Amino acid sequence: MSLPELTQETRTAHWGWDEHRYFGHRVFEQLAGHESLTGLTVLSVLGRRLSSDECAVVDDVACTVTLADPRIWPLKLTRLIAAYGSTLPAAAAGLLSEQDARIGPWTTAKGAEVLLEFDAAIGSRVDEPETVRAFVKRYLEQHRFVWGFGTPFRGKDERLVAFRQCVRQRGRQDLRFWRLMNAVSAEVREQRGVEPNMGIAIAAAFLDLGMTPHQVGSLTSALMQHMFLAHAVEGSAQGASLRELPAGYVEFDGHAPRESPRAAETV
Amino acid sequence: MSAVELDGPLESGASFPAHLTARVVTPGERPRVHGYDVEGDLARHYQPSDLLFLLLMGELPAAPVSRAFSVALMFLAPVSVAHASSHAAVVGRLCGAPASSTFGVAAIGAAEHARSLLDEHDELFVWLRSQRGQLPERFRARDEADVAAVERLVTALEPTGLSVPALAERPAREAALLMVLFAVGFKRRERLEAAIFLARLPSGIAEALAERPTNFGNYPINLPRFAYTEAQ
Repeated sequence: MSLPELTQETRTAHWGWDEHRYFGHRVFEQLAGHESLTGLTVLSVLGRRLSSDECAVVDDVACTVTLADPRIWPLKLTRLIAAYGSTLPAAAAGLLSEQDARIGPWTTAKGAEVLLEFDAAIGSRVDEPETVRAFVKRYLEQHRFVWGFGTPFRGKDERLVAFRQCVRQRGRQDLRFWRLMNAVSAEVREQRGVEPNMGIAIAAAFLDLGMTPHQVGSLTSALMQHMFLAHAVEGSAQGASLRELPAGYVEFDGHAPRESPRAAETV
Repeated sequence: MSAVELDGPLESGASFPAHLTARVVTPGERPRVHGYDVEGDLARHYQPSDLLFLLLMGELPAAPVSRAFSVALMFLAPVSVAHASSHAAVVGRLCGAPASSTFGVAAIGAAEHARSLLDEHDELFVWLRSQRGQLPERFRARDEADVAAVERLVTALEPTGLSVPALAERPAREAALLMVLFAVGFKRRERLEAAIFLARLPSGIAEALAERPTNFGNYPINLPRFAYTEAQ
């Protein structure tokens, strides 16, 4: 019995004899020598290339988002797995922990959804404070938690301060979603007393580059991998010190000792 | 090389506990799980499936629950290489990855497999919780093979003494297994997901270990055939 051939379409790539294809480009002829790692990463997520000016915004994000202290939880996780001596499983574990998590790069996808929701409601009235105030008030009444806001352990997100400077220097501060973010942030600050964080800023900058929320989250994840790799490399080379915490560093807060029903029956 | 003294939010901006908290397994030489001595008690009187139930649920299962849980684990366990989770583990093995990395691939596949199964059955749990109306049509047996599998499940459950009335609704095989897990106490999604994941993980690992590393010539590389397109 002959089976129907199973096929799946892909726009990603094809392996040829002397030349390979990647998202519509000849790898050796069109990409090699012409495209940067950032440009390739953008192409991988968006399926299209960005101009060098636009890629510079992506580079700005990658640099200003670099907060890689090993005490930060997803990086700590990476460090713990690296304690067993392998590099890539540790990096993969960090990457895995990012999907749909409450902290980390996927928050930018959620932040992008928030901004698109405000954009649909506010549209071109972003310069009308009363209009923005009313929509933010209604949104906050319906949402206890707002993605892209909140700056744990400090009053403001220093990464956003630095990234704002980059956006200004590139003359992108008057683009649609950046302005919307500023207008919404002012009202959220006023009504909730919380500051915007880097997540909503990345979302705004990437929406201004024409990305979807899913692309925003995926690209931000890619742009943060250097931090996971750094800890995977350093941690795996450092040996076993984190494999088991010394006695005394762990407290037990669970069920008191007890005997099982079957053990009790045999007494 | 000397350490650089720096200040930041984690030095002077917030306070954190100095100890890590264990909540299930006691650290140290004589481990207890949720209070039960593993080596002196559980190892002598219980099966691994009971320990799994205890770990996830916090209490040891009563005898009928223990037997029914074992039946559910057994029915959940086989995941052939036709499934993406086991298939991915085999491909990892083919690549010549170390066993630990292959197990990691199998674990990710099994976790995603379990998550997607529960995503597809959200509405089933709404029905199970409400106990109202008929089983939604999409969770009913689709063919005779489904009906026969559920009959075998009912037969296997009979000696356990556990009653699962929802099985009378002619559910599909996977829906029936979720009904059994629900009946033995797995009502929270995370715990259900964990039980399904743990039941299925060994299949992916075993299928991978049965493959020979770098056996590329015997792998159907064009299954499926990926059709490259440059259309927007």
